[in-house]
Amino acid sequence: MALLELENVVAAYGNIRALQGLTLAVEEGEIVALLGANGAGKSTTLRVISGLMPPQSGMLRFAGRSIGGLSPGAIVKLGVAHVPEGRRVFPGLTVRENIILGGSNRERPGRAELEADAEKMFGVFPEIKPFEAALGWTLSGGQQQMVAIARGLMSKPKLLLLDEPSLGLAPLIVQQVYRVIADIRRDGTTVLLVEQNAHMALSVADRGYVLETGQLVVHGKPEALWDNEDVRTAYLGGRRT
Amino acid sequence: MGFNLQLLFTGIGVGSIYALVALGFALIYRATNVVNFAQGDFAMLGAFAMVVLAIDLELPYWLSILITLVLLVGFGALFNLGVYYPLRNRSFLPVIISTIGASILLENGVLAAYGPRPQSLDSLFAVPGFSIGDVFFDSQYIVILVVTIVMVALQYVFFERTLIGKKMQATSQDKEMASLLGIPVMLTIMITFMYSAMLGGLAGILVAPVLFVTVGMGSSIALKAFAASIIGGFGDVTGAIVGGLALGVIETFGAAYVSVPYKDAFAFLVLFGFLLVRPQGIFGERISEKA
Amino acid sequence: MSASALSGKTPRGAAGRRGLALGLYVAAALAAIAAVLVIPLSAYSLNLLMQAATYAIAVLGLTIVLGYTGQINLAQAAFFGLGAYSVALGTTAFALPFWIALAIGVLIAAGAGAVLGLTSLRLGGHYLAMVTISFQTILTLVLTNWVAFTRGPDGVPNIRRPVLLAESGPYLGLCIAALFAVAWFVWRLKTTKLGRAMQAVRDNELAANVVGVDAYATKVAAFTLSALLGGFGGALFAGGFAYVSPDQFSFAESVVFLTMVLLGGAAAPPGAVLGTGLLILLPEWLRFLKVIYLAVYGGAVILIMVFMPDGIWGYAMTLWHKLRPERPFDPGFIAPLALTRETAREDGSVILSVHGLSKHFGGLKAVDEIDLTICRNTVHALIGPNGSGKTTLLNALNGIVRPTGGIIKLEGVDVTRLPPHRRAGLGLGRTFQNIRLFGAMSVLDNVMVGAEQPHPLPTLPRERGRVNRNTLPRLRGRVGKGAGGLERHALAALDFVGIAARAGARVGSLSYGHQRLVEIARALAGRPKLLFLDEPGAGLNHVEKDELVRLLKRLKGHGLTIFIIDHDMAMVEQVADHITVLNFGKRIADGTPSEVLRHPEVIVAYLGEERPALSRSHGAS
Repeated sequence: MALLELENVVAAYGNIRALQGLTLAVEEGEIVALLGANGAGKSTTLRVISGLMPPQSGMLRFAGRSIGGLSPGAIVKLGVAHVPEGRRVFPGLTVRENIILGGSNRERPGRAELEADAEKMFGVFPEIKPFEAALGWTLSGGQQQMVAIARGLMSKPKLLLLDEPSLGLAPLIVQQVYRVIADIRRDGTTVLLVEQNAHMALSVADRGYVLETGQLVVHGKPEALWDNEDVRTAYLGGRRT
Repeated sequence: MGFNLQLLFTGIGVGSIYALVALGFALIYRATNVVNFAQGDFAMLGAFAMVVLAIDLELPYWLSILITLVLLVGFGALFNLGVYYPLRNRSFLPVIISTIGASILLENGVLAAYGPRPQSLDSLFAVPGFSIGDVFFDSQYIVILVVTIVMVALQYVFFERTLIGKKMQATSQDKEMASLLGIPVMLTIMITFMYSAMLGGLAGILVAPVLFVTVGMGSSIALKAFAASIIGGFGDVTGAIVGGLALGVIETFGAAYVSVPYKDAFAFLVLFGFLLVRPQGIFGERISEKA
Repeated sequence: MSASALSGKTPRGAAGRRGLALGLYVAAALAAIAAVLVIPLSAYSLNLLMQAATYAIAVLGLTIVLGYTGQINLAQAAFFGLGAYSVALGTTAFALPFWIALAIGVLIAAGAGAVLGLTSLRLGGHYLAMVTISFQTILTLVLTNWVAFTRGPDGVPNIRRPVLLAESGPYLGLCIAALFAVAWFVWRLKTTKLGRAMQAVRDNELAANVVGVDAYATKVAAFTLSALLGGFGGALFAGGFAYVSPDQFSFAESVVFLTMVLLGGAAAPPGAVLGTGLLILLPEWLRFLKVIYLAVYGGAVILIMVFMPDGIWGYAMTLWHKLRPERPFDPGFIAPLALTRETAREDGSVILSVHGLSKHFGGLKAVDEIDLTICRNTVHALIGPNGSGKTTLLNALNGIVRPTGGIIKLEGVDVTRLPPHRRAGLGLGRTFQNIRLFGAMSVLDNVMVGAEQPHPLPTLPRERGRVNRNTLPRLRGRVGKGAGGLERHALAALDFVGIAARAGARVGSLSYGHQRLVEIARALAGRPKLLFLDEPGAGLNHVEKDELVRLLKRLKGHGLTIFIIDHDMAMVEQVADHITVLNFGKRIADGTPSEVLRHPEVIVAYLGEERPALSRSHGAS
C-alpha cells in the first residue's frame, strides 16, 4: 500500500476545474516530482492533499486513511507537512520562533522539547543558525526557504509536500536547497515535490509525474521523462510545428 | 506651569483609557482585518456592570471588578460567534455594518434595561489624591495610569514570551500558513475577541469613577480610539498606545485653552488632519490603493 | 430575419410602452396627492406620512451611494440636518422665502458632501466610515453648542411654509410629489452612463478604472448626490414639522437611515421606499416596543447582513429572476464592429515603447530595467517562468502600479504617470488573469461600460433613432434614450467574440470561457489601439483555446495590436509575431518565436540547467 494515493481527484476554484481526475501514488521513502507548466494544477494538488482545498470528488488516502475533506490541522497531525509556494515565513517572528511553531501539531508541545528540536534543526541547517534572532521579513529568499523547510520538518512528518522550493532563488542557492531535500529523504521522510524547474527536480527524484491542465500526461523514471518529447512540449510548446 | 503640568497629567490619564480601547481594537483588526465599531461599547458594558454589581447588588468592589472582567470575556466570545463568525468570509462592508448594528444593539439594550439617567460610581479610595506643588494627582487617574502600564507590560510578556502569544501573532500575520502548521485559527481568533473585550471592559471599569456612566460613553470613547489608531497607525500596537496618549493630551489642552463644549471635536479634527496628510499614521505602513 | 417579426410589435412599440409606464407613474403620483387632499387624515397620520416621505428621499440618497456605488455613508442624518436647519433658520432668523431657504439647504448639503467625498474617497472602506461618523458627530456638536446661531438644544420653532402650502394636506402633497420625482430620478440614473459607472465601481473598482471609468470622480459624484438628496429631504422635513432640534439629526438617525436602506434593499429605489415605510410604520404598530426599538434596529442590521444582505426587495428580485427562465436573446441584424480608430497596417512603426522600466517592492526588484518595443498591428507575447515579473510589468504598462523608474510611451506620448482610466482613453485595453467582470450587471451592461468610458462614441446622426427597440426590451437595465448607437456598438463587440446571444444574461450565469469572452468584448468596445491580454488562455480547454487563437488572429486582421502573456507555448507559438522573455525581472530574450524558443537562456529559465553537477543520491534506484 502506497503512503499517499490519489484516485480520480477533481478539484475546482469556483467555475475553473483545476484538477480533472488526477490519479497518482507516492510510496514510502520516495522522492516524487510533480512537474508541469504554470496553471497545470501542481500547486492545487498539494493544496488538496494538505486540506487547504476540499476535493470535489475522488479518493485521497494517506497511510490507508481517507483524508479528503479533513481540515489542515487534522491532516498535519496525521503526518503530512505542507511547505507552500512562496515560503511564507511569518514576517514579524524570528527564525527560531518560526521553527518552533512548526511543532504546533504535537499533542502536548512542551516548550523545552520544542526548543531542543529547534536546536536539532539548526544542526541540519547550519546556514541559518546565525540568523536565529532575525525577523522573518529580513531574510533572503534562500534563507527563508531553509527556514520554511525546517519549520515543516518540525512537525515530524511522514510525508513532506514541497511547493516550488526553487522559485525565485539563484542557481547556487537552489543547489543548496536540493542538497537538503536529498538529505531529508535519506533520513526517512517521503517527499512530494512540485517544481517548474524540471531539471533540478528530476535530478533528485525517484519518479516524476507531468501534469497539464489538471490531468496527468506522462509519468515514469527521471531518465525516461527527460528524453520524453511530451515533457518538453508541456513546457516549451512546439507540438503543432 | 503648574496648570500645564496638571493638564498633562490629566491628559495622559484620559489618553490611557483611549489607549486601552485602541489596543483591543488594534488586536482584532490585526487578527481578522475587521474594524470593530462596537469596541467602545465593551467599555460601556464594563462600566455598567460595575454599577450593577457594586451599587445595586452591593457586592464588594474587588469582587465586582473580577466578575465584570469574567463577564466581558464571555461577552467577547459571544460577540465573535454572533457578529464576526457568520460574516468572516464576506467583504468588509457587511462586517463593518454588522459591528455598527451590534453597537446600536448594545447601547439601546442597556438603555432599555437601565434607563437614560447617567449613573455614577464612587471612587474606590478614601483619599481623593495628593498634591505636589501646584499639581493635584487624582487617585483614580493614578490607578488608570498604573493599570494601563501593567496591562501593556503583561500583554508584551504574553505576546512575546508565551507560545500561545506567538501562535496568535502567527495567525495575525498569515492565517493560512498558521492553519497548515496545525495552529487552531478559529480558536486563536476567539481568544483575540475575548481578550479585546476584556481590555475594553477594563477601560470601562477604570473610567467609571471619573466620568458619568452613560449609554453613549462607549461610542464616544470608541471614536476617540479610532482617531488614536489613525494617528498611531492602524493595527499597530505601539501606535495604539502612543496615539491614545497623544489624543488624550491634545484633547485636554484643547478643552482648557480653546473650548470646553467642543472638546470632542478635537479628536476628529486631528483625525481629518492625519487622513489628509498622513493616513498611515505615525507607525503605520504606506497605504497603497488596492490593486 | 428582423426582430420585429419575432416579437410581433411595431418599432414604436417599446417607446410607446415606456411612455405608457411614465404616464401610469405620473397618474399614480397624482392619485396619491389627491388622496391626501381629499381623505380627512388626523394630524398624527399626516405627520407620519410626511416623515415617511421626507425620510424616503434621504434614504434614496443612500441607494445611490451605497446601493449603486458600494460606498458607505454614515452621515446622512448630518446632511439631512443641514438641509433642515437651512430651512429652519432661513425662514425664521433670515426671513427668507421657503423655496430660497430650501435651495440654499440643498446646496450646502451637497457642498458638504462634495468636500467630504473629495477628501476621503481616495482611501477606502473603513476610513470613509470613520470620516463620516466624525463629520456627523462634529455637526451634532455644532448644532447643540453654537447657541447664538443655531439656537442650541432648544431647537428652532415656527418654521414657515410657502403660503399656498400652509395646510398640512397640501404640504404633504408637495412631499409626495417630491418623493415620486426623486424616486424616478434615482431609478433612471441606474441606466445612464454615470449610473453604469457607479455600478462598475461597486462591482470591481480596479476593472472599472482600467476600462476608463474615473472611479474617484464617480465616487465623489455619488457621495455628493447622496448628500444632496439628504439635504433635500431634510429641508422638506423642516417645513413639514415646523420645528427642528439637534437630537433629530444625530448618529442614531444615520443608523436609522442605514437600516432602512439595508432592510428594504439598497440596490433599487423600491427597496428604499419599502424599507422607510416599514421602519416608520412598524414602530407605530409595535408601539409597545418603542423603548427598545433602536436596539431592535441594531439587532436587525446584524441579522439582515447575515441572512438577507440584499434586503427584502433584493431578495424578492432574486427569486423573481430565478423563476423566470432567461429569454434567448435575438439581437437581429448587427452591424460589424468598427474596431480601430484609424486604419492600421503592419508597417513596423512603434506603438508602445518602454525604456528602463523598473518596479521595486522594498528590496525586491520585481521588474529590473526592462526595454521593450511593441510594433503596430503585431501580436507580441511576454513569457517567462513563474515569478519573473510579467504581471508586474503589465500592471505598470497599464497604470495600476507606479513604476520605480523608466519611461512608457504610447505613440510617442509619455504615459508613465497617467492613471489607468486616462490610458484607456488613449487606446489601451486590458483583460485580467482572474476575470474581472462587473458581477451584478448584465453582459450587455458590462460591455457598454467599456464602450462609453471614458468618451462615448460619437453617434452619427443617421444612426440615431434607427434602433429597433424591440430587439432590446427585455434586457435587465432599461435602455436609455440616445444610447441606441452605444448599445449597437456593444452588441457588435459581443457579436465579434461570438456571444451576442447571451447579451441579456447576468454574467455570473456564464461559463468561464464565455466570461473570458465578455471581458475581451468589453475591452474591444472601447476601441483600443493596443490590447493587453493577461493569460487569456488560463482555464480554457483545448477547444476554447483554438477558438481564442482564431479570435486573436481576426483581431490582428482588423488592425489591432495585441500584447499577450500566456504560459501555453503551443498557443503562443501559433499567434505571436514577436516574443519577449523575462526571468527574475530582467529581459533575457527578445525576437521571433523560432529565435526565442531555441535560445539557450530561455530553455534554462524554463527547464533548468542541463544535468547539474549534483551528486545523484538515488540510492537503490
